[in-house]
Amino acid sequence: MSQQIKEDLSQFIRELRSAKGSARIDLLGRFGLLIPALASSAVIVLILTFLWYESALIFASPEGGMGIIVNPTWNPNRDLYGIAIFIAGSFMCTILAIGIAVPLGMAGALFLSEFCPHRLRGPIRMVIEMMAAIPSIVYGLWAYLVVTPWIGSVLAPAFGVESNGLSLLAGGIILAIMLLPTIVTVSDDALQSVPRTLREASLALGATSTETARKVVMGAAMPGIGAAVVLSLGRAVGETMAVLMVTGNALQIPFSLFDPTYVMTSIITNQLGYAFVFPLWRSALFAVALVLLLMSISFTIMAKLFIRWGMKTRGLR
Amino acid sequence: MSYDYKIEVRDLSTWFGKKKILKEISCYFEDNSVTAVMGPSGCGKSTLLRSLNRLNDTIGSFRMSGEVLLEGENIYAPDSDVYDLRRRVGMVFQRPNPFPMSVRDNITYGPKLHGMKDIDELDNLAEQSLKKAALWDEVKDSLEDPAPNLSGGQQQRLCIARALAVDPPVLLMDEPVSSLDPISAGKIEELITELKKEYTIIMVTHNVQQAFRVSDQAAFLYLGELVEFDKTKRIAEAPSDDRTEAFITGRIG
Ligand SMILES: Nc1ncnc2c1ncn2[C@@H]1O[C@H](COP(=O)(O)OP(=O)(O)O)[C@@H](O)[C@H]1O
Ligand SMILES: [Mg+2]
Repeated sequence: MSQQIKEDLSQFIRELRSAKGSARIDLLGRFGLLIPALASSAVIVLILTFLWYESALIFASPEGGMGIIVNPTWNPNRDLYGIAIFIAGSFMCTILAIGIAVPLGMAGALFLSEFCPHRLRGPIRMVIEMMAAIPSIVYGLWAYLVVTPWIGSVLAPAFGVESNGLSLLAGGIILAIMLLPTIVTVSDDALQSVPRTLREASLALGATSTETARKVVMGAAMPGIGAAVVLSLGRAVGETMAVLMVTGNALQIPFSLFDPTYVMTSIITNQLGYAFVFPLWRSALFAVALVLLLMSISFTIMAKLFIRWGMKTRGLR
Repeated sequence: MSYDYKIEVRDLSTWFGKKKILKEISCYFEDNSVTAVMGPSGCGKSTLLRSLNRLNDTIGSFRMSGEVLLEGENIYAPDSDVYDLRRRVGMVFQRPNPFPMSVRDNITYGPKLHGMKDIDELDNLAEQSLKKAALWDEVKDSLEDPAPNLSGGQQQRLCIARALAVDPPVLLMDEPVSSLDPISAGKIEELITELKKEYTIIMVTHNVQQAFRVSDQAAFLYLGELVEFDKTKRIAEAPSDDRTEAFITGRIG
């Protein structure tokens, strides 16, 4: 390994010596760009190591162990540190948010890119980009005052369920709203970059512009739309404030959309302050953080593999 | 319905914004013939072709006057069905533009749009279209492969097959070989002579020799004017306009 690096480096230096003028600048530039790339991978590794180190205590102790991942009982007063509730909560909340945001966001992007009157396009994009800049606490406050009461007094009764509105559904909705701007703008960019000649090929076969957008443009824009979903997955798993405020934070695994839930970010935020002086408790919270990071990394990798597969079957690069 | 020509263009003028591109053009295209449209770049060849399937309508600043009759009916009439028109007037573009889908899906895209659902029927049609485009032997074992992985020449023949799959009596080709290597170009040229037996073909080309080889009649456009329109043989022997002569002898263009 280090042998390899040594060889690469001396190869690079040889190339640099023999290159001249602009070629030398190009080589230096490429080497320069390598540094931030390496640095950011190093940061991920460092953080993983740090989280592993901090959570080692709970994973090694008889009260904890690897079993905490599937154990749903969290009661620090009695030294019970099962974190399954939070894993399930985050997982469901993320899937729900993505399930709402992706279809809506893609519909929005399709409208913007393919059907929106030219004059409205700019202003609408600007508003959507501004939505991305709203702090999550503001979304949280709004959801707490508007969305949860609406779920509690309108939606739940309509389904014949009793709920105060603080629920998995509220978390999913507010997360979805927060993800929408990214999905819409990134997908819109992807749709816009589909070459005109592909659209024309479809129109020239007698397709309407709706058929063209749905069957050709969407397929061709798939890598970009996929990238939007990847970005959103990461954000959805890690989002804290807004979700904390509307999901009710009850120590249970939700069985319906109207049940309250407790997500990983919320338990860390809520309890880290008290836990700091209790080594096991504190370590358990770091274990939650470790699982959170691994979950968002694996979501990202899975989504990327899926996109790569999709691109390969379509012959896209 | 009886008509004199497959397509007849009457006094066609077109504009992009304020700029007049085609100037009072009148010409006609007969059944089972190949017409070559020649002229220097920017003279309006593509614009003329795209007026025949109303593809220019998709460009906001486009305006036109005059008439284009397809089998005797004005395609620009208010009650004319543009989607049906485009089914009947197929188009092949300058650069191969296969959809990012499998070879088979590329071919069945059009027929499915127009309501064909039966799988066997679609498979059969895909085979027939690929055979007509002289591509079947090369792709029959890889129908599920992504079309963009084919070579440039194969992609262009796939685009021809895709256009043929909706059974258009007229085929427009906008410099169909200009982005291809000479061998692929030769294959497509051969194919065009073959397709003439069934279709009315209107082909833009920048290559005079090619126009002389494959076309029955030829049109020469210069700065948006139709300078010459006659049997190819006659133009090749004795062009009636100096500008045509300058173009075919390579002095302009
Ligand atoms: N979409 C468009 N918008 C504005 N002008 C255009 C457009 N397409 C073509 N033109 C103009 O129309 C003229 C003819 O173009 P075109 O028909 O493509 O020429 P050719 O195919 O003979 O090279 C050119 O001057 C070109 O700039
Ligand atoms: Mg052209």
